[in-house]
Amino acid sequence: MALINFANLDFDQIKTTLENYLKDNSTFTDYDFEGSNLSTILDVLAYNTYITSYNANMVANEVFIDSATLRENVVSLARNIGYTPKSRKAAQATVSFFINTSDIIPSPATITLKAGPVATSAGTFGNTSFVFSIKDDITVPVVDNEANFDLIKLYEGSLIEESYTYNSRNPNQRFLINNIGCDSELINVTVGINDYTEKQKYAFQNSLFSINENSRVFFLQEIEDERYEVIFGDGVFGKNLSEGNIVDISYIKTNGDSANGISQFSFTGRLTYTRNSSEYVVESGLSILSTDISASGGETIESVSSIKKYAPRIYASQNRAVSANDYETLILTRIYEETESISVFGGEELIPPQYGKVFISIKPRSGEFLPNLIKENIKRDLKKYSVAGIVPEILDLKYLYLEVSSNVYYNTNLAPSASKVSSIIQNNVTKYAESSELNKYGARFKYSKFLNTIDNSHSSVMSNITTVVMRRDIRPALNAIAEYQIGFGNQFHINSMSGYNIKSSAFRINGIQSDVYLSDIPNTNRTSGSLFLFTISNPSSADATIVRKNVGTIDYISGVMTINPINIISSAKTKDGQSIIEVSAAPHSNDVIGLQDLYLQLDIGNSVFNMVIDQISSGLDPSASNYIVSSSYSNGYLVRS
Amino acid sequence: MPLQSVSQGFRDISMTFAKHPLTNDLIALKNTNAIQRSLKNIVFTYPGEKFFDPEFGSKVSRMLFEIITPLTANRIKREIEYSIDRYEPRVSLTKVKVIPNYDNNEFNILIAYDIIGINVPAQQLDFVLQSTSQ
Repeated sequence: MALINFANLDFDQIKTTLENYLKDNSTFTDYDFEGSNLSTILDVLAYNTYITSYNANMVANEVFIDSATLRENVVSLARNIGYTPKSRKAAQATVSFFINTSDIIPSPATITLKAGPVATSAGTFGNTSFVFSIKDDITVPVVDNEANFDLIKLYEGSLIEESYTYNSRNPNQRFLINNIGCDSELINVTVGINDYTEKQKYAFQNSLFSINENSRVFFLQEIEDERYEVIFGDGVFGKNLSEGNIVDISYIKTNGDSANGISQFSFTGRLTYTRNSSEYVVESGLSILSTDISASGGETIESVSSIKKYAPRIYASQNRAVSANDYETLILTRIYEETESISVFGGEELIPPQYGKVFISIKPRSGEFLPNLIKENIKRDLKKYSVAGIVPEILDLKYLYLEVSSNVYYNTNLAPSASKVSSIIQNNVTKYAESSELNKYGARFKYSKFLNTIDNSHSSVMSNITTVVMRRDIRPALNAIAEYQIGFGNQFHINSMSGYNIKSSAFRINGIQSDVYLSDIPNTNRTSGSLFLFTISNPSSADATIVRKNVGTIDYISGVMTINPINIISSAKTKDGQSIIEVSAAPHSNDVIGLQDLYLQLDIGNSVFNMVIDQISSGLDPSASNYIVSSSYSNGYLVRS
Repeated sequence: MPLQSVSQGFRDISMTFAKHPLTNDLIALKNTNAIQRSLKNIVFTYPGEKFFDPEFGSKVSRMLFEIITPLTANRIKREIEYSIDRYEPRVSLTKVKVIPNYDNNEFNILIAYDIIGINVPAQQLDFVLQSTSQ
């Protein structure tokens, strides 16, 4: 029998193949018996074949980025297509403190905070103590015997320096960052002609554009064991090194995301002043450290799966932002790595179309909206990649909140306590709210799954009646006449033809001296309606007074409300320091979708889980005479309180 | 009467890899010799030595470092019986004798067996087990 199966990676199968071969082609017969000499020889042959096949298979796998498993190989393959994986990122915190220099006579002109460790996490944080450092000296003037170090940005990790002397006779000299866990964005490289001359700073560069033979730049590449290598220019692209140059590399060796959240620090830094060319250490007069911003933004090194995902996409975009995908990939990997989710679409998809524009909305990892400064930075960085004639616009994220109101019927015989069951339900629902099923663009709230989550939370839960309400927050331009249009992306349910299907929180407009609320009244065609403003004595009252009619229109089918130009002067609710008006409506379908740029969020804080005793199941009221009925269509109060 | 399979005899390769003086071919071990060699291989292979078959062999070689007593001899006997029964289907053991030789620190082994499948008289294998070669 011919040897036909070449792809075997199993020792026993290889041996069986050899035995089958001998069965047909040999005068020997004892291959079947494990104790025989022939069996030993077959073992050796099969083992040899097995090792060779395994090696061939591994080599073939590691050659392609899709199948490679060793980080070193994935990184190397990514390097071939111009992709540098993201390094570990140090958590950043901002602190302030001051020094009272009245003990130092005469008072120094300046005080310097030396590069290196500045603070440690006060107390224990997850049984570990973290060091926070700065990478350059900070010098501040002394005014009225006080030196103020305000908003000092600290990086979690230790400052480490490595020094090399360039030797042109060694063609294999490498400038390595020998520690694992370096933050590639916090690397300082300086080069001195020798020990006695001033050192010149080199800048990090990741492309060959806009550099020449005199550019003081260095390149960076990841090498084995998650370490990095600094590479200098060759005299054509970037200035090259010459014999005897001293290369100093300083960097922060960080613990990545472990230090996120630290908010209390104790000072461990070194403060100095100079007098008569001598340096003295400041030993007294230090205030306590006040934390301006807690440590955040620390990240682990980019994972192998992420490199596999983004390296080909970055290559496909060729460092140019043309298609929507290019924008998404470039922003995620090169421009703003704090992005949790991103949606990009061309202006031609809008109604009415806005040609020549591309709209980007970004959900940051922390917070709900991007600060304006970051938006400007992103737009500026995008210019390097975008095509002339296309204007990127960064839109604020449009959140579509879902609020649920659930009456949970439970059997008292099976429940430890109503509050215990309620907290289990809320835990599970929070998990669902935080899952990736909802927190992305194009998400869908699956009503039946949600009901199931509640029902399955505890064996005592018999059933639940849950109503869903959609909410959007208008951020009004206060004291200015403006028109507002808000889309919910889902059809509205008309509960009553006499109106009050839409509810809003209180706000004030120019000309009316009391809180007003927004609501609707449907037309007889049940597809559109008009909006009106009304006042009410208290939120639970059913006695509304309409103060202004036809202030806007509502399209129930497309779920869009348009408020005609109006001057809003204040609102009752604020969020992140900004005034908001909450507007809510019941969806026509309980499966709510996040249409286009709407970002679906289940707002647990505004949801209600009401525990109701199931008197029938509990045996308290077998005849159901006193059964507590929960409405599936309840509309509640006229306004949002 | 059911069909009985008749063995064509057993042929194994010799580990000396010596050349046959007449045929210039490799020397082959046949029937009784092949089986004898196989039995020795089983007894002298320690579990774990054979690739991907960690249980193959017998633990006799490890037992030779223990104090020579009738008890150790009995354990060696049982180990030989067990391993041959398990890994050599061509023989049916009739007797295994392990005799301690206290003066020379060795055991004399005698294995008596019948070969299944070929028509040969009862066989006997004698060898000496020593903890170290002297």
